[in-house]
Amino acid sequence: MYVHVPFCAKRCGYCSFNTAPLEDGSMVRYLEAVQREIDLLGALPWASRIRLGTIFLGGGTPSLMEAEELAAVLDRIRARFDVVADAEITVECNPESVTRAKLEGYRASGVNRLSLGVQSLDDAILPRLGRLHDARGARAAFEAARDAGCANLSIDLMYGLPGLDLDGWTRAVDRVLGWRPDHLSAYGLTLDAGSLWGAAGIDGLPAEQDQIDQYWHLARAAAAHGLEHYEISNYARPGFRSRHNQIYWHAAEYLAAGPGACGFVGRVRYSNVKATPRYCQVLADGALPVASAEELSPRQRLAERLLLGLRTADGVPTTWLETRLDGDRGLRQRIEAWRAEALLVDVADRVRLTEAGFLLSDALFVELL
Amino acid sequence: MAPSLIRNFSIVAHIDHGKSTLADRLLSLTGTMDAKKAVDQVLDSMDLERERGITIKAHTVRLLYRARDGQEYTLNLIDTPGHVDFSYEVSRALAACEGAVLIVDAAQGIEAQTLANFYLASDANLAIIPVINKIDLPAADVEGTRAQITETLELDGSEALAISAKHGTGVPEVLEAIVARIPPPKGDLDAPLKALVFDSFYDSYQGVVVYVRLTDGRVRPGTRVLLMSNGRSYDVQQVGVFSPDMRPVEELSAGQVGYLTASIKRVADAKVGETITETARPTAVAFPGYRDAKPMVFAGLYSIEDTDYEALRDALEKLRLNDPAFTYEPETSLALGYGFRCGFLGMLHMEIVQERLEREFDLSLIVTAPSVQFKILTTAGEVLDIDNPSKLPTPDRIEQMDEPYVKSSILVPTEFMTAIYKLAQEKRGEHRSLEYHGKRVHIRFDFPLSEIVVDFYDRLKSISKGYASFDYELSEFRPSDLVKLDILLNGDPVDALSSIVHRDKAYERGKALVEKLRAVIPRQLFEVAIQAAIGSRVIARETVKAMGKNVTAKCYGGDITRKRKLLEKQKEGKKRMKQVGKVEVPQEAFLAVLKT
Repeated sequence: MYVHVPFCAKRCGYCSFNTAPLEDGSMVRYLEAVQREIDLLGALPWASRIRLGTIFLGGGTPSLMEAEELAAVLDRIRARFDVVADAEITVECNPESVTRAKLEGYRASGVNRLSLGVQSLDDAILPRLGRLHDARGARAAFEAARDAGCANLSIDLMYGLPGLDLDGWTRAVDRVLGWRPDHLSAYGLTLDAGSLWGAAGIDGLPAEQDQIDQYWHLARAAAAHGLEHYEISNYARPGFRSRHNQIYWHAAEYLAAGPGACGFVGRVRYSNVKATPRYCQVLADGALPVASAEELSPRQRLAERLLLGLRTADGVPTTWLETRLDGDRGLRQRIEAWRAEALLVDVADRVRLTEAGFLLSDALFVELL
Repeated sequence: MAPSLIRNFSIVAHIDHGKSTLADRLLSLTGTMDAKKAVDQVLDSMDLERERGITIKAHTVRLLYRARDGQEYTLNLIDTPGHVDFSYEVSRALAACEGAVLIVDAAQGIEAQTLANFYLASDANLAIIPVINKIDLPAADVEGTRAQITETLELDGSEALAISAKHGTGVPEVLEAIVARIPPPKGDLDAPLKALVFDSFYDSYQGVVVYVRLTDGRVRPGTRVLLMSNGRSYDVQQVGVFSPDMRPVEELSAGQVGYLTASIKRVADAKVGETITETARPTAVAFPGYRDAKPMVFAGLYSIEDTDYEALRDALEKLRLNDPAFTYEPETSLALGYGFRCGFLGMLHMEIVQERLEREFDLSLIVTAPSVQFKILTTAGEVLDIDNPSKLPTPDRIEQMDEPYVKSSILVPTEFMTAIYKLAQEKRGEHRSLEYHGKRVHIRFDFPLSEIVVDFYDRLKSISKGYASFDYELSEFRPSDLVKLDILLNGDPVDALSSIVHRDKAYERGKALVEKLRAVIPRQLFEVAIQAAIGSRVIARETVKAMGKNVTAKCYGGDITRKRKLLEKQKEGKKRMKQVGKVEVPQEAFLAVLKT
């Protein structure tokens, strides 16, 4: 289950996620609403058949929640659903909003994985991003998490940032890898239409080739530190892949709670009402806050399985790809070009993108739709 | 019906001067139909016409008007196509009339098509009623426009009617003038039938419906008629008039305008300009001026999906039933596979055909660079008509190459003269004459048709802030120093991108073309070299770098649907790509050839 916690002390320039300002009383109203939503989901006829293997609190900034508030949400989920004993329970944290005490409290409530939004270690770049921490604060948060007993700790970084050159990126990567995180997510900056930068534009973006160089530097450095590149933007020590995120890439089912959160149940992808006040209102009125739903056709399901699965190093069973190529000679020829360029490789009975292929993956996914 | 109570007339005007609005007013004043219905149904019956605001097909309607003299007159309004591509159709429609209402916009004054239409009407010996429209506009200059009419058209400007078709002001006077100033049709009711075909359309139940103007004789169901240009005979099934829907009558007679059906299978069998007479008692002389509508612009049409070839052929066949002015024959392109070489009257005509194929037949098409038809004299002494650059013989087999020229007429405010001359020079124009008309000049140039066929009109409009107007007619073939400019993608020539250009402009054109292609060909998995070459000599080169990065960084639970939709949208765009060898080439690339 994914739980969206929309609040942010400040919205970052690159962010296109569904966020809300943290005002007096809004957290209380939200907590009430999200617990009610969990109740309503738990009362659905098929809810008793569900076993939750992972819970992921994303945002927004979930670490704005006090430990007791978080515990209340998790307790409510456990009260309404069958949560497996060794469930992976992740909370996204911003460095400035965590302390060792708070993280110990999280851990006590069952959280066993933290994802720390470091993004950059350059004190000139961090404020431009709209982040509220500095490099020292990031390091301190990492230490606090370890001290609090977190044995599965992930770090988020961004590259392709305005003002970031290869040297700066190399330094950041080396320092972060030196902390020995269990998991690392590194995202090339994307200017989404929904973000401030996407709408207003931003100066100082590195050239495409610099962004590519940054990608390759990380890929090599991560490998040298024993992290496997298991998804386009994700690296993990063996055994520390994000179980929750792999659910998405396997096109498996997940429930969602919180404003704007998206779920996938049966053949239906659905999303919740985005605006937090409206979300709270719908739940106060006793209804599930589903805003839209789409039932996938078999063709769309296959396409999704291919283009989600091919994001990962495990790729997809070759038979899935063959099903898509059946009867489409032109497409088959174009896919052969991917193999010829060593962007796509066959490994036993599976087919996967190489690290070079990851970089061009959208061009393949368009074809596979 | 006594011919003295019939008036056959057209309304002619430069585009946007208010032809449709006036026609609409005349219909509603005579109670022919209410205004809204008229606009919706009669004047712009094709969707495309309505969207583009241009009349493509002629339309005809019969108005019954009780004049101030107390008599009821039959006024046949023959509407004419409103674009320079269709001037032959205009001339035939005018030949069916005795008079024309010539509209001049009170704010814009006389423009190139006003002049062109005036000359057509004048050549057809029509009585011309000048009408100054849009007098309600703040910028209207009625007296200035009168002066222009006197000066430029040598009509009596003081007799021009000042009206506002939009508000109805002065429109009753137009009806009176039609009765008073346009002569009734002459003609001999007892002479052999002689009827001019000025339009036709295909109806799946009745076959071709032929629009006719009778000058002599009579026709009724059962009459066996002869089509003089092709010698075929048919039994007339129905005759009728447009009021405005088709209404059968017992007989059409000399002076009248109406339609007939005779189980004619194809529009091409009863072409515009054809003379219809009686098989048993043919008239001596056909109408002069008949010609086959001759395509001026040729382009290859290919379906993007190879599997749609049959569908494209069927669609072309259906379209041609109704539009004999366009021609098609199968051709093969190494780059594009099986398709058709199609001939069009002009670029607008080409765009219309393309749009209709895509819209009405749901086809996705590649249109190759339009070409004109060149005449090639080979060293062996043969003369070849070449409308496809890839069919051009090798230089060693060519003795001489001729290209078609047009006589053109440009009317523009004096302030834009310099810009116009510059454009004309760029387009190899030869200056013929210059006349001042007040604040405007009338410039005549001869141009190679190939230079004006694609974007000339748009360029002209843009450099003159929309004020310049333009008209042209085909004149003759002239010898020219032409070469074939080839385009190579990763070393392989792409026949569909070849063009025939003047030698002096080849280098510049080649350079511009590869630059343009670099901009429109998307980055692919591998580098794409784009070269322009004359024979084996490469004259320009550009490179489309291999795709560097095309990746979505984050794809989690909430991103999946959005991502899929974004990719689906991109895929729609990709549908307009054609695989040429290993390279994916977008549709625009093929049109880029002459637009650079």
